[in-house]
Amino acid sequence: MFDLISEMSNYAFMRRAFVVTTILSASVAPVGAFLVLRRLSLAGEAMAHAITPGVVIGFVTAGLSVMSLLFGGLIAGLGVAVLTAYLARNTILRSDASLASLYLIALAIGIFILSAAGSAVPLKSFLFGSILGVDDASMILVSGVATVTLMTFALILRPLIMSTCDPVFFESQVKRPWIVDQGFMFLLVLNLLAAFKTLGTLMAVGLMILPATAARYWSGTITAQLGLGFIFSLLSCWLGLTLSYILPETPSGPAIVLVAGAIFVLSALFGPLGLRGQFSATTKS
Amino acid sequence: MAVVGANGSGKSTFVKTLLGLQSPMNGRIEWPMGKPAEIGYLAQLTEFDRRFPIRVRDLAAMGAWQGFNPFAGLNKTTRNRVCAALEMAGILDLADQPLHTLSGGQLQRALFSRVIMQDAPLILLDEPFSAVDQYTEQHLLSIIETWRSEERAVIIVLHDLSAVLDHCTHALLLGNGRASFGTVDDILTPDRLVAQGYMSSSQASWMFRGQTNGGRADV
Repeated sequence: MFDLISEMSNYAFMRRAFVVTTILSASVAPVGAFLVLRRLSLAGEAMAHAITPGVVIGFVTAGLSVMSLLFGGLIAGLGVAVLTAYLARNTILRSDASLASLYLIALAIGIFILSAAGSAVPLKSFLFGSILGVDDASMILVSGVATVTLMTFALILRPLIMSTCDPVFFESQVKRPWIVDQGFMFLLVLNLLAAFKTLGTLMAVGLMILPATAARYWSGTITAQLGLGFIFSLLSCWLGLTLSYILPETPSGPAIVLVAGAIFVLSALFGPLGLRGQFSATTKS
Repeated sequence: MAVVGANGSGKSTFVKTLLGLQSPMNGRIEWPMGKPAEIGYLAQLTEFDRRFPIRVRDLAAMGAWQGFNPFAGLNKTTRNRVCAALEMAGILDLADQPLHTLSGGQLQRALFSRVIMQDAPLILLDEPFSAVDQYTEQHLLSIIETWRSEERAVIIVLHDLSAVLDHCTHALLLGNGRASFGTVDDILTPDRLVAQGYMSSSQASWMFRGQTNGGRADV
């Protein structure tokens, strides 16, 4: 095993991959935990698709640079988030239906432009990321996003917990409750973009949701959930990378998410709040 | 003060408008004494996510959210106040339980301890007894009596007229597009309750059957 570790650490791209996914885990784990707790697990997936047109337009007009990716993605993602909130508040559609409509439009625009522009970017790396070719710029992007995310969480953690646990109470107490909601959406889009380059659009949400749902089976408090979620996503990344190193034909994104999936299945089976635990026995409500 | 009315007559809307969760359709809210810096609020239990991973202790502490320092834990005074609030609600022994293990009555007690922690001069309660047993209701009513003796204003949405008659001084009756406000004895008369669609005339005559002239309902 130690041979394997020293063998992998001989390659610069593997060292980079391990560093980047470690930082990424610290950043996406809390975002994923709150996605699950705010019942936005599926909305996270939808947002991952919603950033597509921004990323594509940025790529077509300005080339594959980190900045075009960041700005294009942020504009598209936040645009969809704000429009969804607007439609949900002012029309009969609830937010899930509004979001579904808007992300489908966004995804179609993205793929349409990508094809019309005759893009050279391979669809496979767009969907599954290219973690084994991480350059300096994307390392800086991931580290920057992680810094912003963790500092914002330190600042808004308690209001975020309040608004997640009891939104009606939170709105009754705070003058501008939407700051916390939209602030969280901003962090979500930011982390999707950080994960997008390394894991791809299809796999980005996997590293957020699966460790968080797995951690939920073990933890009765939110502190435990946040800590455990980070450990699970870190494990997924390290084992997943190793897996895709041993089997050279397997892409790293799906390998990482598969490990996360295995952790989820084990947690659902053996966790104290899982299938065989006290929750299913006592409180079925 | 009690808010009474048939389903859909606008009781919760009234409370939510007072809180600023909804804006009035017309007119505006005036606070002659100035709007209280904090309003204690307890929503209907149906709006609460009981699976959220948090301990009873932390739920109660949320009431003191204004004093939180984002970069530090709760100070000793706050922690002691949390214990006192849980004690008053009768659930100190459940302090470290996660929410999903609580019964409906225990959860309502936990939410009451959050209102206690808010320490607000005005307290709004929306159907606080809809999911609790008689024993818990008595306990929670005694907490409300304590608030009244501390000269806090309590506005409470209630369906149980006997509790209104026993514990409230004033009532706001909503229904059939009208609102009447006054002392409990003036407002909760059979005629008004029937006229504003709260009960049928036969229900009213049964409920107020033992009533002497201008006196209280014997229920």
